[in-house]
Amino acid sequence: MSDPSVTVVPAFWALGAAGLLGLLASVAAIVDGLLSARAAGAAAGTGWSRPAGEVARLMWQRRRATVAADTLLWRTGGAGLLVMALMIVTVVPLGAWTLFDLDVGVVWFNAMDVLAWAFVWLTGWGANSAHALVGGYRFLAYGLAYELPLMFALVAPAVAASSLNVGTIAAAQQGLWFVTWMPLAFLVFCMGVLAIAMWGPFSAAVAPDVAGGVSAELSGVDRLLFLGGRYALLAAGAAFAVPMFLGGGAGPLLPAWLWVLVKTLALLAALVWLRRRLPVVRPDLFMEIGWVVLLPAVLLQDLLVAGIALARS
Amino acid sequence: MGLTSMLHRLAARHAHVLLVETPGHWLTRVAAEHHLLDRGWRLAQSPADADVLAVCGTPGVELATVADRLWQQMPGPRVRIGIESPEQVRHALDIAEADLRDITRQQTDSRVRRGGRGDQTRPDGHPTGGHGPHGDHAKGGDEHAGHAGHAGVAHGDMDMAPAGIPLANRGEDRDGLELDVLHVRLGPVLAYWPAGLVLRCTLSGDVIVDAQASLTDPSHRTPEHDSASRSGRLFAARRCDNAASLLALAGAHDAASGARQVRDILLDPDGAADAPARLARLTRTVRRSWLLRWSLRRLGSLSRSDLVNRDLPDTLEGDAHDRLLGMLDRASRAVAEESSHRATGQPTVPVEAVAELVRGWDLATARLIVASLDLDAAAPAREVSRV
Amino acid sequence: MYAGAVGMALVAVLIVAGLYLAHRALAIVAAPLTCLPFQSGWPPEEHALSRHHVRWYLATLLFLAFDVEMLFMYPWAVVVAQMGATALVEMFIFLGGVFVAVLWAWREGALRWV
Repeated sequence: MSDPSVTVVPAFWALGAAGLLGLLASVAAIVDGLLSARAAGAAAGTGWSRPAGEVARLMWQRRRATVAADTLLWRTGGAGLLVMALMIVTVVPLGAWTLFDLDVGVVWFNAMDVLAWAFVWLTGWGANSAHALVGGYRFLAYGLAYELPLMFALVAPAVAASSLNVGTIAAAQQGLWFVTWMPLAFLVFCMGVLAIAMWGPFSAAVAPDVAGGVSAELSGVDRLLFLGGRYALLAAGAAFAVPMFLGGGAGPLLPAWLWVLVKTLALLAALVWLRRRLPVVRPDLFMEIGWVVLLPAVLLQDLLVAGIALARS
Repeated sequence: MGLTSMLHRLAARHAHVLLVETPGHWLTRVAAEHHLLDRGWRLAQSPADADVLAVCGTPGVELATVADRLWQQMPGPRVRIGIESPEQVRHALDIAEADLRDITRQQTDSRVRRGGRGDQTRPDGHPTGGHGPHGDHAKGGDEHAGHAGHAGVAHGDMDMAPAGIPLANRGEDRDGLELDVLHVRLGPVLAYWPAGLVLRCTLSGDVIVDAQASLTDPSHRTPEHDSASRSGRLFAARRCDNAASLLALAGAHDAASGARQVRDILLDPDGAADAPARLARLTRTVRRSWLLRWSLRRLGSLSRSDLVNRDLPDTLEGDAHDRLLGMLDRASRAVAEESSHRATGQPTVPVEAVAELVRGWDLATARLIVASLDLDAAAPAREVSRV
Repeated sequence: MYAGAVGMALVAVLIVAGLYLAHRALAIVAAPLTCLPFQSGWPPEEHALSRHHVRWYLATLLFLAFDVEMLFMYPWAVVVAQMGATALVEMFIFLGGVFVAVLWAWREGALRWV
């Protein structure tokens, strides 16, 4: 509404957006399946069908409840991640279309991503299992360290575009993508996405050393929702990076909506690939890194961006 | 019907397996791991995640009880297989897949398991409890067992032991706070954990304030299956397996897969001859990863005098990162000197030393330290039989 | 304007409910199995739900202070280009002040919990 370059589409397109997110999450799962099958030296055919096989397994598998579990909180947490990811993509414009043209779209993203704290912790807490509890505990420790740098990283594009509207921010990058002159904010944002999805270097909350941590007691559809939620969050995070840092729909030849998808897929594939290359960052070490290194670094990035924005105006 | 049977076929092709390793049956476990990954199956991290329970070797009484309990915690469809030797692995996994796809069998198994706690999930035999074995109680028939006399201040709650499990008690903590402590046992069945080792940890938050180590079935020790054929290659494979565990715990998935593959080549009698080259490449990758060094350095540091005091082998000098490189170096050397290698195996590490090393660390770090000790499954046994 | 978000919330609920319903139809047994939590094959010695020791408690306080600061940052981000250098200087003096507190807390060991 504040930006004429974006059209709000009717609400029933939410179905389409959800389908698109599901598609992206499936691609992420297939890429991960292929990469891990290749690394394990498994038969070539198994990588492709791994996500489908996993869905079939979990839909057939019985659900579990642990003794004296806090069932309501447990299930809320498990299903919450997927809901969160879906709500994030409402503010991401697909080329010229958006579902929800909010003036403060960036704040909306922050509000949604902080929900992960509650959902992951509840999943860990509800199971009444020591391993799951330690998993949730580790996630919150990460959260304390990644959330502030992530928020300040998102302020940088907002300052440069003088707006918190995602469409406006994307439109402000027609000449030059923000990633080129605020690379640090982009990297910190990607790190935040990995952390929210408990992915790769930030997977201590679901690590094998605590038997799968938060997910240790989940089976059947409960597990499917939790795992699917993680992939969906990864995809939603990658999709949000496109209007914020990667120029939105800007690009030659292809239509804007296709560029958004191509960029999202490229970033998503890179994030998935990273999982296998980087070791897990220990939460206790990351606490200090987050506060003493990342936070001031992102603040300096903001200072630089604000200075350039001032000089331009 | 067509759709559901397709679903079941697809599911069975992607089964997750929970491995239970009886001490002394390392080769069987490794073969099982190799073959199941080869089929595109995956290792389960907990019974909730598992379709197949594979017990490698003949377990003693204690480990058999543990396996039974895990079996009860598996959601189903589920299959339990026993694998006695590496040669049986392929056949056993085929049987597991066939049984998983046997719908009637799975349905019969699942239907007799009630939704309630009736499925023999009673918390029997826990050390704090003064209650004897109680029968299968139906859903909701929880026993308010006699935990009233529990030491320490309990919660001001009438129900001291919901579902027959006592509530946590407070413990003194480093910061002088009095909050609840949990007693959690690590091992014998846990991903990337040395076979047979059990650590009973007292956790305050996720920090281990105290730990006691023991071994399952100390009197039931099958001689190491592979002891007759201790060759340089076998020794090296063992080091690679332990390095793979440490790398996997550190989250370096690709490096862990690499170590596992080198291990499998070393164990295969007609394995490719490029094992030394692959090992060298792996060592280079590990050495070069600064993130790995950053997360492993200064963990469980042991100086030469520490080693002497605690009766530990010289190979453990340094921190977890040094020990990881040491494992890979020793593997390389063992492969190179194959013919002349007088394989004496790993020197033993007393189990008490393991407990001592993890005290004061958080759970993640403690796991890395234990994995860095490069334990042979049978190694701690000698120490305990001394008792 | 909020129709899109409401629509998506509905879709999300439908997806979750649909998955649960599909699972009821497809699962081997619909009722969940109640069992003990995994503890390496041992029965738990006590309930894990407890007065858990959050050792990063001090870091949470620090976080709260900075998080409230974020509230100023959002409106500031929108107007800083128009307000000019004063807005920039004022904000970063403030941020610098808060960051000194972080450094102090760090020196005091508030960011370590092991």
